[in-house]
Parts: sequence; C-alpha cells; structure tokens
Amino acid sequence: MANVTLSQIKKQYGNTPVIHGVDIEAADGEFVVLVGPSGCGKSTLLRMIAGLETISSGTLKIGDRIVNDLDPKDRDIAMVFQNYALYPHMTVETNMGFSLEHRGGTKTEIAERVKWAAEILDLSNLLKRYPRQLSGGQRQRVAMGRAIVRDPQVFLFDEPLSNLDAKLRVAMRAEIKNLHRKLKTTTIYVTHDQVEAMTMADKIVVMNAGEVSQVGAPLDLYDRPANRFVAGFIGSPSMNFIDGVVENGRFTAPGIDLETPSFTAGETSRQLICGIRPEHLVIGGEGISAEVSLVEPMGSETQVTFSLPEGTIVGVFRDRIAAKPGDILTLGVQTDGCHFFDPLTDLRVE
Amino acid sequence: MKTDMSIRMRTMLYGLMCVLLIPFVFPTWWMVTSSVKPISDIFAFPPDLLPRTYDWSTYQRVFELQPFAQQYWNSGYIALLVTAGTMIVSSLAGYAFARIRFPGADAIFMVVLLGLLIPAEVTIVPLFQMFNQWGMINTHWPLILVPVFGAPSVFSTFIMRQFFIALPIELEEAARVDGLGRFTIFRKIALPLAKPALSAVAIFTFLHSWNLFLEPIVFISTPQMFTLPQALTQFTDAYGGAMWNIQLAAATLTALPVLIVFIVAQKQFVEGLAHTGLKG
Ligand SMILES: Nc1ncnc2c1ncn2[C@@H]1O[C@H](COP(=O)(O)OP(=O)(O)OP(=O)(O)O)[C@@H](O)[C@H]1O
Ligand SMILES: [Mg+2]
Repeated sequence: MANVTLSQIKKQYGNTPVIHGVDIEAADGEFVVLVGPSGCGKSTLLRMIAGLETISSGTLKIGDRIVNDLDPKDRDIAMVFQNYALYPHMTVETNMGFSLEHRGGTKTEIAERVKWAAEILDLSNLLKRYPRQLSGGQRQRVAMGRAIVRDPQVFLFDEPLSNLDAKLRVAMRAEIKNLHRKLKTTTIYVTHDQVEAMTMADKIVVMNAGEVSQVGAPLDLYDRPANRFVAGFIGSPSMNFIDGVVENGRFTAPGIDLETPSFTAGETSRQLICGIRPEHLVIGGEGISAEVSLVEPMGSETQVTFSLPEGTIVGVFRDRIAAKPGDILTLGVQTDGCHFFDPLTDLRVE
Repeated sequence: MKTDMSIRMRTMLYGLMCVLLIPFVFPTWWMVTSSVKPISDIFAFPPDLLPRTYDWSTYQRVFELQPFAQQYWNSGYIALLVTAGTMIVSSLAGYAFARIRFPGADAIFMVVLLGLLIPAEVTIVPLFQMFNQWGMINTHWPLILVPVFGAPSVFSTFIMRQFFIALPIELEEAARVDGLGRFTIFRKIALPLAKPALSAVAIFTFLHSWNLFLEPIVFISTPQMFTLPQALTQFTDAYGGAMWNIQLAAATLTALPVLIVFIVAQKQFVEGLAHTGLKG
C-alpha cells in the first residue's frame, strides 16, 4: 500500500491543454473520489496515474517513487475499466489469474489467490464461465477480482458502475466500500455521479474543466462549498442561486428579503449571489414570497418549483404539500442555509 | 395473416435461391459426371444428367499421364506454406497498422494498399527477371514468395487491420496494467480474439494459392514441379487435342479439397467477413 501524490500534473493533446496543473494527495489507504462533469478530465487524470497516458509535465509519485516514466506494469496498480475489459476468450478463473501468471507466480500460488479473491467477491461458482455467460453485476465483480488478486499498491476505478442499473449500482457501491474496508488499499475512484462520490469517498476531489475546484471530505463540500461550481455540483436537486444585494445583515432581491445573521460583511451594500439548497427552504417562514409553478410529489418528499420575479427556485420538502400551481407561498430558510458567492470570482464569501 | 406472408416470402426466397444455384451447381455437376463418361457422350446435346455408362479408368489415367500425385503434393504444400506465411505477415502488419503509431504510418499503409491496384500481369515480367537473377526459376520459391509478400497478403493485412481497429482498446490497456508487453499483448490478447478474421484470411489465401495459374506457368517448366492448375492443361493427346474426360477427372480431383475446405469452414468464412465489415 502507498500514498499517491500528484504535483502540478498537466496534460495536453497536441496544443490543446486538458489538465491544467493538478495537485492531489491520496494518503495511504484512503478512498479518494474524483468527480466532475463529463469532459472535465477525470479519465485522463486516472489514465495518467495508471500509465496509459503520458504526463505532459508535473510529477506523479506512488509511495516514494516518482513513476512518471514507468510502464503501467511497473507501477504496481490495478485498474477497473468502465466496460470491465474482461478478456472474452478466457474463463473467469484465467481472467483473474492472468496478471499473476505474467508476473511469474507458481500454479498453486495463482490458484490460491484466485480462490481467495473469488470467495471475497462471491464468484466461487462462476470460475469456469466465460465473461459472455455472466450478468453485468457479475462481470463487474470479476473485474474487481482481477484487480484485487494481485494485491497492488493502488486501485484505480473509472466509472465502474455506470453500466449497471440503478438498483445494482447501489448494491455494488456498498460492496466496493466493504471491499475497501477489508483490504485498505489506496483507491482512486472516478465518477460523474455526485451521489456515488458523497457515499463512498473519504475525500472528494471536485474537478471542473481540467482543474481541481475543491478537495475535502464529503460533508465539508456539502456544508461549505468553496465556490459556485462545487455548490451547484454537489447536492441534488442542485442549489438555487439568486442574484441580490447584501446590506445591514439582510439579503434582498426581487421578491426576497432575508435576514442573514451569519453574514457580517459590513454595513456597505454589496452585490452577491445567495445560494440556498432546496432542502433548506421551509414553508411558512419569512423572507421569500413566491408563486408555485410545479408540484412533484415523490412519496417520501415533495419537490416544488417556485417562480420569483426573476427566475425560479426549487424546494424539497419532507411533508406532503397541498399547494397548487398559482398559489402564493411564503418561504424561509433554515439557519445557516444561505451560502454567498462573489458574482465576479464565483468564490465563497464569508 | 402474418404467417401466410412469411410462408409465401420463404417459398419465394427458396425458389429464388434454387434459380441462383443453377449457374453454380450445373458446371460442377457436369464436370463430375463427364469425368466418367466416354468422350463421345460429353458433348451430347441436350446433356445427360447422369452418365449412361460409367468409365472409372479415367481417374487411373490421370495418374499415368502426369506425375499427378507429385503435383498434388506441390500444390498442397505450397498452399499451406503460403497460408501460414500470409497469416503471420498479415496479422503482424495489420496489428502494427492498427495499433502502433509510427511516423508515416498512414502514408505507408496507403502505399501498401496501392499494391492491390496493380494487376499481376503488370509485375510478372520484372518478377521473372528478379527471380531469374536469384536463380529461382523452375523452383517453388516464386510461388511462395510472391503471394506472401504480394497482393493476397496486402488484402489480408487490410482485413486484419480493420479487425484489430474494431477490437476494444481497453482489453489491451487492461493487459498492459496486468503486466504484458506489446508483443505478448498481441500474442495472448489480440491474436486469439482475431480468430474469425484470421480464418477468413486463411481460407482466402489457401484458395488463392491453390488456384494460382499465371505465376506457375511463367516460373515453372518441368512436370515434376507443376502445380495442379498448370497440370490440368497437360492432358492432351499426341496431336494436342484435349482428352476431355481425363482432364475433367483431374479437374474433379483438383476441386475436391476446395470443396471440402468450403464445407468445413464456411461458418468461419462468413463470420470472418461479417466481422471485418467486408461482404463477399
Ligand atoms: N486522445 C485525445 N485527444 C484529444 N483530446 C482528448 C483526447 N482524450 C481526451 N481528450 C479531451 O480531454 C478532455 C477530458 O477527457 P476525459 O475523457 O478525461 O473526460 P472525463 O472527465 O473522463 O469525461 P467523462 O465523464 O465523459 O468520461 C475532453 O475535453 C476530451 O475531449
Ligand atoms: Mg471518463
């Protein structure tokens, strides 16, 4: 096991830079999730760590070694691919033992490791099958089995669950987490699904357009997003943003006049963006008066879209809401429910 | 209603197939049956579907008039060597063109493909001079070397390249992470998965070599060295007239392995062509 350190990692394809100097530190045994929208460079970054993509500049360390120029096979990593990449012409058993075979393991050693991995992943009775004879979830487990038999220093996952249906995804999420608890191998896990990121990570790295937007523990990112991008990306439905003015401890915008006790940015008025999570709106408080435009009951909660003089906001409520479109409601915000961002820099203001 | 339609469709399709079969089956049938007819019956009109008398001695005469067993062996071992050689060259070259980025790869591939456009008749004279200089006239070397490094190999390289391009790159990346080098990846991952394409290449090259005609008549001059297509021209009487029944017996023997190859391997052949996106 080892820590992984990326310092000022950059990548360009020809003249097009796609990763602009990324610093990430994954401690020994940590489960780090890289999350971000499509095209932000997560896969590229992971593939650079794996050695499948060259590093344009910066240094990559695994343990104490700088591995920039090492082949994937010399980095002591294992990777699980999005489409699993199981060898179609080999049985589950051979697939899992394949890497050991090429690293000169003896027959009994390999058989033992494969048996061990198969037991952990509940694959023991599938060992003689070919990948085409397996379900999606089973293939996924074989792919993980192939990664763990070798006991590598680092696991790399690239959206391993995105080909599974919603239910199985939740189950596999727990299984991967369990596996990590057992093996305690440093893991870097790429996903574009913020729920996966929140539930699995020790540490989340939010990426945007080839840069790290924020690094932190899941709840820290939720509670104190460092910028507007992270605020909008983490949480579902995503945070409402309202342009307005802060003055004398009050935030005002058309249709809104909120008290913001936590915010003491002086007496002079200042243009800011107020971010409010849908789940932090409360009906019947005071500060916002808005017209209901859409009510979506989900059973456990109700999602309501309100229209304001400028734009719309979304609220999520645990109670069933009797309101109909067209009704005017007054809304309040839970304590500490307002986040403020600078309209120019998009950075958090406190 | 629907089943009515499909039954009618099927009947029509089968009818159409039967009609299409006639130009393929009839000549074969004629060849086989005529090989045991007396010469006078061969050109009877309308042709007899079955011989009136059977004269099996023609098959014996084939081996008396020519060193036919030797010629059979010649054709056979040459075709096998050409097939093996082409499989090696085309899979390696196809993989290189598909997966290895080297300077000028595309240009070189274009040049190689251009080789397909030049008819054998154009290159045969310079080839003759070249093999003459190398002292290889009236040996089997030209019949092996020309296909393995010529048009059939280029075509096969193209088939293999298309197949390797379509193979998911993640498989090879997974293999790299698993600790394999480039050549081991080729041998253990890419090549085993390329079996359908490789079988198509094998069948195609074998048949091409088996049927090769122009090159043998240019390079080979003694009957002991002949290959079958060339030997077929030799069944003539003292005046140069064709001994039709004997020639057709020899032709039947020549076609036999081809028929067997097709029957045994037609599934792989069709699959291979379907996989590469080339329709025969
Ligand atoms: N071989 C390449 N040549 C040029 N640009 C590339 C290449 N591979 C990736 N890119 C670009 O790099 C950027 C990052 O791609 P990457 O695949 O890392 O995104 P991602 O975050 O994994 O997205 P997704 O969630 O869709 O998988 C994209 O803008 C993409 O267009
Ligand atoms: Mg990706």
